[in-house]
Amino acid sequence: MSLQQGLAIVLQVKDHGDSDKIVTLYTLEYGKIVLIAKGAKRSKKRFVNKLELFSLLAIHFAPSRHSSLMRLDQADLLNPFPRLRENYERYIAASLLCELVLHWTREHDCDEELFRLLVWALEGLALAGGAVNRTIIFFHVKMLDILGYRPDLTGCLDCGVLGAPGVVYRFSTMRNGLVCSRCESQATGNTSQPLSIQTIQLLRRAQDMEQGKLERLHFSPAATREAVALLKRYDNHLLQREVQSWSFLG
Amino acid sequence: MNVVPPALSRLIADLNRLPGIGMKTATRLALHILRRPASEAQSLARDLGELHRSIRLCSGCFAFAETDPCGICKDSERDGGLVCVVEESADLMAIEKTGAFKGKYHILHGVLSPMDGIGPEEIKADALLERIRNQQVREVLIATSSTVPGEATAAYLIKRLQEEAAVKVTRLACGIPMGMDIKYADELTLSRAIESRKDTCS
Repeated sequence: MSLQQGLAIVLQVKDHGDSDKIVTLYTLEYGKIVLIAKGAKRSKKRFVNKLELFSLLAIHFAPSRHSSLMRLDQADLLNPFPRLRENYERYIAASLLCELVLHWTREHDCDEELFRLLVWALEGLALAGGAVNRTIIFFHVKMLDILGYRPDLTGCLDCGVLGAPGVVYRFSTMRNGLVCSRCESQATGNTSQPLSIQTIQLLRRAQDMEQGKLERLHFSPAATREAVALLKRYDNHLLQREVQSWSFLG
Repeated sequence: MNVVPPALSRLIADLNRLPGIGMKTATRLALHILRRPASEAQSLARDLGELHRSIRLCSGCFAFAETDPCGICKDSERDGGLVCVVEESADLMAIEKTGAFKGKYHILHGVLSPMDGIGPEEIKADALLERIRNQQVREVLIATSSTVPGEATAAYLIKRLQEEAAVKVTRLACGIPMGMDIKYADELTLSRAIESRKDTCS
């Protein structure tokens, strides 16, 4: 069977038996794929240092004749992002980005834009001065956009107004958008924390902003807390599972 | 119709729960045990039954041991001022085999892995800090693996030890394995080896 090749980010690595590893990758050409790397645990040359979390690889792989798992044949390390392992906060952030891609994508569902966004975010986290929480929020908002789950933050879903004085806005995960305190019926029981207008506007700007202009976004600690809580709740609701890395984010 | 006798089927299912043992290997092991003399199977069953009764975690270093404190923690010949931090008991055994380390150990029983829900509270990090504060420890050697989770765990421990304890912290050296030709070393290992180069005149 012919070898296929591509660029990939390592999302997850699991030991398999005494000598093999099961690697989940997000690739530029094939989306999320799961491969078996035969002999990877004992490899002294072919896979050593390469099948590590967050690494950007150039890979060669082939469908297996005996199982549904594809076989990883070769991996060349393009960028190991060493700074992500030298700092606990950045390690958690990078783990979160990879876990999000792991759970939000399906196997073989290819999305070039998402791959480039992930590489860009990991590069940003690896930079000494990179703002960790801002990168996470921006990545998440953009990822939802790419995958077709963009939350509607333009105004209240019922009255269409945003910023009316004295009105409280909450995000409804059921309706995928904002609901104001004037329109919210008591029966819906939306118990989420209110979102400040500042946070809503920052998230809206992030939805429409290009990656290169990220420095223009300034999240206050309160806005960061609100945005993180909203995204975490949105993940739990739509994925119907907990994204573990959220709990370690400072 | 089930052709496998229930007792054999139960053993296969039990073995299948072990890490790295698939259904085929579990069946092969179960049939091997069945073919060997009954005394061997009884001895295996006795040893398995004894495991949790006789082995506990050492309250000093968290190693598996039959006594508390364990043999290494009790050994007055070993340097109590030097503590080597490892991920697992198997790492302790690997370091002990070298005969090069004469200090004591601290076993974390894991590494930080946010995706698996393993944070600082799940590894024995607080116990290490407490031990350093309460005992006369002058150096902590961090000997976690050079994998991403191992390095991140080392970075976390180094930061906490530097902030919360007045102790010298060292990291296991990382570089070219003995007998390896430099041209076959990967870029990351080679760059680490250059960064950690040693002054031969000292």
